[in-house]
Amino acid sequence: MQPKHFQRAGIFAGILIISFIVIWEIFWRSQGFPISFNDDESLWSEKREQVYKPIDEATVFIGSSRIKFDLDIPTWEKITGEKAIQLSFVGTSPRPLLDDLANDIKFKGKVIIDVTEGIFFDPNEARANSSAATAIKYYKDWTPAQKASSRLNKFLESGLVFLDKNKFSLNAFLNEIPLHKRKGVFVFPLFPRGFEMNTSERQNFMTDDFVKDTVQHNKQIANWIFFGDTVITKGIQGDSLTTVLNKVKKSIDKIKARGGKVLFVRTPSSGGYIKTEQIVYPRDQYWDRMLAYTNTQGIHFQDYPGIANFICPEWSHLTPADAIIFTREFIKILEEKGWKFKTTKNL
Amino acid sequence: MLFNSYTFIAFFLLLLILHNWVPFSWKTKKINLLLASYIFYAAWNPPFILLLWISTLIDFFIGKKLYHEQKKRSRYLLLAISLMGNLGMLAFFKYGGFLLENFTLLINAMGFDYQAAKPNIILPVGISFYTFQTLSYTLDMYRKKSEPENSLLDFSLFVTFLPQLVAGPIVRPNQLIPQFKQPHTANQKQLLQGLFLLSLGLFMKVVLADSMLSASADAVFGATQPLHSLDAWMGV
Repeated sequence: MQPKHFQRAGIFAGILIISFIVIWEIFWRSQGFPISFNDDESLWSEKREQVYKPIDEATVFIGSSRIKFDLDIPTWEKITGEKAIQLSFVGTSPRPLLDDLANDIKFKGKVIIDVTEGIFFDPNEARANSSAATAIKYYKDWTPAQKASSRLNKFLESGLVFLDKNKFSLNAFLNEIPLHKRKGVFVFPLFPRGFEMNTSERQNFMTDDFVKDTVQHNKQIANWIFFGDTVITKGIQGDSLTTVLNKVKKSIDKIKARGGKVLFVRTPSSGGYIKTEQIVYPRDQYWDRMLAYTNTQGIHFQDYPGIANFICPEWSHLTPADAIIFTREFIKILEEKGWKFKTTKNL
Repeated sequence: MLFNSYTFIAFFLLLLILHNWVPFSWKTKKINLLLASYIFYAAWNPPFILLLWISTLIDFFIGKKLYHEQKKRSRYLLLAISLMGNLGMLAFFKYGGFLLENFTLLINAMGFDYQAAKPNIILPVGISFYTFQTLSYTLDMYRKKSEPENSLLDFSLFVTFLPQLVAGPIVRPNQLIPQFKQPHTANQKQLLQGLFLLSLGLFMKVVLADSMLSASADAVFGATQPLHSLDAWMGV
């Protein structure tokens, strides 16, 4: 090919690419999608690096998806004057994260552990730990190149909606092709696109369109049912439960021994979820027992009128507006329990 | 640093501008290339850059001595030092775990109850490529196939040149070092052809390999049961 032809082909390809990118970006913005950051190991590692702040400057949150939706980080930081470090993973038990913090002798801060019983007490460690274990390993091996890429990615993702890998990558679209069910192939159900957005602080939130659209709520409820989250089974019992509690207590004791503080929180759920959770994990046998066994404070949403009556649109997570109310009330309850913050502003 | 990362694109653009459009002397451009190659390698794991330096220095000085040394015994000794240094490093990092595992099995088979501590050795990226590349130079010196390189800068660049440092191909000294002697600037045709090849490679890596074919390849390579030959080929 002659240079002239290369040049023309290059210019033509450049125009096509830039036009496509601009149109693609405008299209998704017009569909109501805000900026959302990829919730990958790099973003997690960036937060994990911050846990060494002094105890009166930050609180670390570990748990599953509920605390990621329910804690409004800007509200928390405005009221308390302290940083909220969100380390939770969706669909993942906080136990490996607790273990990681407990075994890190440099960590001497505050930890709030969000408990979603079905995930927290999952006896299948491999399943419960998968995302957390991968991220912890990634953080330990975090290379300078990955750190640089993370900063560059964050900069680009802060301006472009279509860079959200989970929703707008080629793989995400390939996964949406409706293929017939094949024997032995597990097809992960599609979550509505507006259900789970992610801020650069790792807070999840639903889009306005999702919040308003009951069809999408029902789609997500159908997903929870597909996962078997509303099936009445027998929760973990006997020695298996004691083993889990022992491990949790051991980790908490390590943190407390270094001057750290730990508290459990049971964030709201509603509809079919709470009905199932109450039957499979009766409070006295799990929540109350865990607080007593580990000698640790806990806040259960049903005990406090200010946070007891939320309706989760898809049974499991709060809307962005409710997350702000929940966070304000949660801080008040923490103060009642003797937690002190740098500043407490009334908003 | 992954070739398909934004960091590499930014890094490469900066290097290209410095090399092609800033009027530095040829020596400064080579120093830039060398420093960039070290940064490229250190961006993965900074301490491992020491291995590159050791490999470079051993073979640069031993190669020179080997070429001029007349005594047979001294030549053997110098060659042995180079081989032990390079292959020792490769054996430790690449096969250390494997050797220890087999040693433990052998000891256990002999009736001794011995369990070795887990070695936890990290394999330095591209160690095979630069080890064999420097070795090829030493062997050429031993056989007096080519003249020894007098410039440490050119030799270091031969060992470390970033386009082939971590993924090969392994090149012979006489293929690459002479190219460092004369100033080079890419013309428009070369730049466009390079951009075309980079785009094609990026498409094959990002779109075909990582997006469309990775799931099938993972399923084949992660299969726990014997595969039909056609399925196995599909994975490759």
